[in-house]
Amino acid sequence: MVNVRCATCKYLRRRCPSDCIFSPYFPSNNPQRFESVHRIYGASNVAKMLEQLPSSLRPQAAETLCYEAESRIQDPVYGCAAIIFQLQQQLHNTECELAKTRAEIAIIRSNGHGQESDIYSADEY
Amino acid sequence: MNATTTNPSGGGGGGSCGGGGGGSNSGGSGGGSAGPCGACKFLRRKCVAGCIFAPYFDSEQGAAHFAAVHKVFGASNVSKLLLHIPAHKRPDAVLTVCFEAQARLKDPVYGCVAHIFALQQQVVNLQAEISYLQAHLATMELPSPPPPPPPPSSLVTPPPLSIADLPSASSMPTSYDLSSLFEPMVQPTAWVMQQRALLHNQNLHFGGGSGGSSSGGGGGSGDLQALARELLHRHSASPSGSVPCSEASPSPSLSK
Repeated sequence: MVNVRCATCKYLRRRCPSDCIFSPYFPSNNPQRFESVHRIYGASNVAKMLEQLPSSLRPQAAETLCYEAESRIQDPVYGCAAIIFQLQQQLHNTECELAKTRAEIAIIRSNGHGQESDIYSADEY
Repeated sequence: MNATTTNPSGGGGGGSCGGGGGGSNSGGSGGGSAGPCGACKFLRRKCVAGCIFAPYFDSEQGAAHFAAVHKVFGASNVSKLLLHIPAHKRPDAVLTVCFEAQARLKDPVYGCVAHIFALQQQVVNLQAEISYLQAHLATMELPSPPPPPPPPSSLVTPPPLSIADLPSASSMPTSYDLSSLFEPMVQPTAWVMQQRALLHNQNLHFGGGSGGSSSGGGGGSGDLQALARELLHRHSASPSGSVPCSEASPSPSLSK
């Protein structure tokens, strides 16, 4: 019977036990995934973080760790923060656009087209 | 929200996680008369001259912040990361590393990705609202036809977000106002909370504290906000000319 090692155990050149904490989340067909988290967090830190969680939550945790690690590799200075900044900017721009649209509606209403329903009253928006 | 350009002026104090200019008032290299830096204090090792952490983790509160960084990333990994970054960018790197470490400790499953999800959801919701209002605006601008009946008051439920939908960090602009990182966390929408509840039964929270965030950012983000306040205070208090052990570390874009 061939025992396929997970990406972690292959990278660390060790035997992959049947209860390896990494194997469900770092399959052997994607070595880069583990290399990223290992580079940023270290295998032992990842293991500790996963072990602290119930098994039902580990897939999400592994995914987010991979995502953050890859973000940090792509942008060593800002990592995920770069994405947060971009979204904050996008949110700001969207809020401005929304305010502008509401203002346009208010202007049209005040010019005599305001027969519409009360859901566009200033109080609500 | 500001996206100010990182100011590459001299200034060693900026970007300290819970600390001012290095491990000493002089802003000099680690060790010295003021004792070990926060990192070396935590690691219980001698703080040598040229300690990579000294400019960013002071001996008082820096140790606590370094503890989080060490727990999540490990000292050697952070050290390697900083060594590969130009000195003038290291304050920003330390800030974001501290941010991610704190977020991961508060939310061991999602870390700072929870912030990203919440922001994405807010953007989607606002865009849906804009689309609806623009459609209505177009109707209002047309002569005579009666306006369409208003849709249900709740916005259209957007499709569930997944990690695959997250943007990548590539091609991002390189100038940020880091203080915005620590602004009160956006309030998670009911939809986001529902999604999280569907994923698991634990009472997780965005960026920290229990009970999710109220209009200001949940209790858990209190530590992040405290970190931000310290950083801003240190940044405004630190002399612009002080240079730590390494090369000139310009103050990050923390000033308003």
